[in-house]
Amino acid sequence: MSVASFFSDSIAVAENEFRQFRRNRSAILISLVVLPLFFTVSLGAGQGGAGSTFSPTAHIPIAWVDNDNSLASIRLWETLATSPDFRNLIEGYTEQGAIAQLGTKRIYAVIVVPKGFQNDLENGNQATLILYTDDSEPGVSDQIQATLTSYTQNFDPNVEVQAHLSQIQRESVAGVGIVSKGATFAGFDIGLTIVIAIVQIFAGFYEIAGGISREREDGTYARLLVSPIPIGSIMLGKTLFDTVLTVIRTFTVLAISIYGYGARPNTDLFTLLALSLIVSFVTMGLGFVVAALKMGQRAVVIIEFFLILFLFAFSGLIIDSNLLVGFSQAISNALPFSYAFDALRRTVLLGRPLLSLTFDLEYLIGSVIVLYALAFILLHFSRERLIT
Amino acid sequence: MIKSLVQDTAAITGKELKQLRRDPVSLVLTIMFPIILIGIFIVIVSAFSATTHNVPVVVADLDGTPASKALLDQLTQSRFVHVTELVETENQAYQAVANGQAIGAIVIPQGFGANLAMGDAFVIISTDNSKLTSSQFVSAAVSQGAQNLVTQAVQQGGVSFGLKLAPIEVIVRPLSGRPPSGDPILPGFLGMIATLGGFDDIVNAISRERERGTFPRLTLSPVSLIAVYSGKMFATVVLTILRTALMLIIFSLYGLDIHGSLILIFLTAILIAVFTLSLGLTISARIRGSATLTVLEIAMTFPLFTLAGTFNSPLLLAPGGKAIADSLPWTYGNDALRRLIYLGAGFNAIASDLLILFVSSLILLPIAILLSKRTM
Repeated sequence: MSVASFFSDSIAVAENEFRQFRRNRSAILISLVVLPLFFTVSLGAGQGGAGSTFSPTAHIPIAWVDNDNSLASIRLWETLATSPDFRNLIEGYTEQGAIAQLGTKRIYAVIVVPKGFQNDLENGNQATLILYTDDSEPGVSDQIQATLTSYTQNFDPNVEVQAHLSQIQRESVAGVGIVSKGATFAGFDIGLTIVIAIVQIFAGFYEIAGGISREREDGTYARLLVSPIPIGSIMLGKTLFDTVLTVIRTFTVLAISIYGYGARPNTDLFTLLALSLIVSFVTMGLGFVVAALKMGQRAVVIIEFFLILFLFAFSGLIIDSNLLVGFSQAISNALPFSYAFDALRRTVLLGRPLLSLTFDLEYLIGSVIVLYALAFILLHFSRERLIT
Repeated sequence: MIKSLVQDTAAITGKELKQLRRDPVSLVLTIMFPIILIGIFIVIVSAFSATTHNVPVVVADLDGTPASKALLDQLTQSRFVHVTELVETENQAYQAVANGQAIGAIVIPQGFGANLAMGDAFVIISTDNSKLTSSQFVSAAVSQGAQNLVTQAVQQGGVSFGLKLAPIEVIVRPLSGRPPSGDPILPGFLGMIATLGGFDDIVNAISRERERGTFPRLTLSPVSLIAVYSGKMFATVVLTILRTALMLIIFSLYGLDIHGSLILIFLTAILIAVFTLSLGLTISARIRGSATLTVLEIAMTFPLFTLAGTFNSPLLLAPGGKAIADSLPWTYGNDALRRLIYLGAGFNAIASDLLILFVSSLILLPIAILLSKRTM
């Protein structure tokens, strides 16, 4: 078999895929519109655009109860109320009245300045603030505590106006200032590294494994396997088809992110596209392996769902891979997608050149080769069984 | 008429449950969803609550005074970080982070000890902020190190350098009285299971019947379309009760104290599932393939985790996200579950949440029936 015939067969398979794809409006909608749009827009809506900043505590209604009524407590109120982080401090409640309102959604926390607050400060003792929180709202309690602490730990009751503490003042602990030098990123930019990969994994896996299982259920896959087209051409044809979709999806996500939410990836378009394609190839390889195991469409969808959940737990999306313990760390180390997310973070956020991430790239490319080879062998045996 | 509707509905419900019993994949899926989700939760929580984190850091002590050595001692004993190397210069420290050898570089500058005596010292940290959690642990290690220096100095009555206790301590008292723990997302998981279960049920109930060709036969039978949909909905109610019971058992085994009325928890989970089913029925009138529908529904579900208060309160979202969250009925369901489970809220406290779910389902159901009729 000549190389030319191998490639012409591959192109024929790819053409067939595109024809089928064009005729399926739902597939076009989900693959090219719904997936990129849903994930990117939900990220942008949740985190805010990359250029914008917002304080999560700014608009949360918080009751302020001053039982001390001293100069120090008034200065603390002024410090907080004029800060960008506590714009919805509500006065006028009694302590019991405010606590009774917690859990009713009218207020979510109560800051109580106890009697003796100023005395403690004057005498050099540590004064206390009591923060009652509605802890049925996950994350709210911690967020308010952290923000409040950043203002109080360096509060000086002798200074009349200290409305805006500098970042170094807010991060200072026990008289030791902490100067942070690492680059900081908008929540949207961090999320973008996840969305780029998740969209490709989500769509690519279904397009390959789901596509083959659908053909198998329709009965056309067996005919394709026993045709003179080599397995390699079938795999290459489907890969070419999905590569084009990957490129379109990558551009869609980037266009929404950059023009809609002001994302500024710290790398060039080629790197982003290359990483998207590598993630997509790993996913396609996995998709071919699953398809070769003769899964039905429903099973493929279920595996896809668990794959995504698995990635959230073990690929460093929620918690950094290096913080995982025991067997979960081992799983994380073995997952090629962990390296893909790592490479995306290092390039998109830190601006590292793609080729400097040698280990990540080697592991990802090695995974692509292993998965494609495994799928090839499984599909080859499957064809042998069909023929004999 | 009503009697016949009820009988038909019961017959369809029985048929749905019988079909599920005969389909081992779907049956396993119904049971596996909660178990796998909780498994993932345990992985995440155990990573956060590990006794040591060993985030690799390099330290450059440019001061070499007793004060800087005391801070260095604190860092080497920290449960957050692991000092992998002591370097000579500031640049070497930053380079280690840039090269990926360490996640954080801690630089104790020259004059640290002298400035400390005046209460004006500072430490420089450079972190690889692409590692979100780890970089926060580096800051926490330095903060704790400084705080420990003060505590030790106070306890020993020895040299206190220029350090001082933070003037104000913030004491937190959560309303539920629960100790701060890693379980604030468990009620969100229950909402997620109800949502995913509802989506899965609609795939089983309509799309697969359409693919097998049994749905047109069912609609051509003397059973009314309302009875068909009601029957499928009641099957979902039964399954949601089973899934919720399983989740609550797992919660109890995990040690979660459930404060609220169990009946209200079941009612809320059922309303979340029924709303999801109503939405699924509407979508399935247009998207016929079961696999396509499932993929679409999963694609919709993942953004919901962020926006509908599954993991984090919608209060903490950006303004745009909060507006979306407020318009999603799931947000109210998750909110009701949290207040029931943690605060022991009564019916009055969650009535408006339940009403939103109920009315949303009531609006969607006729639309679904109308669209289904049109496409027949």
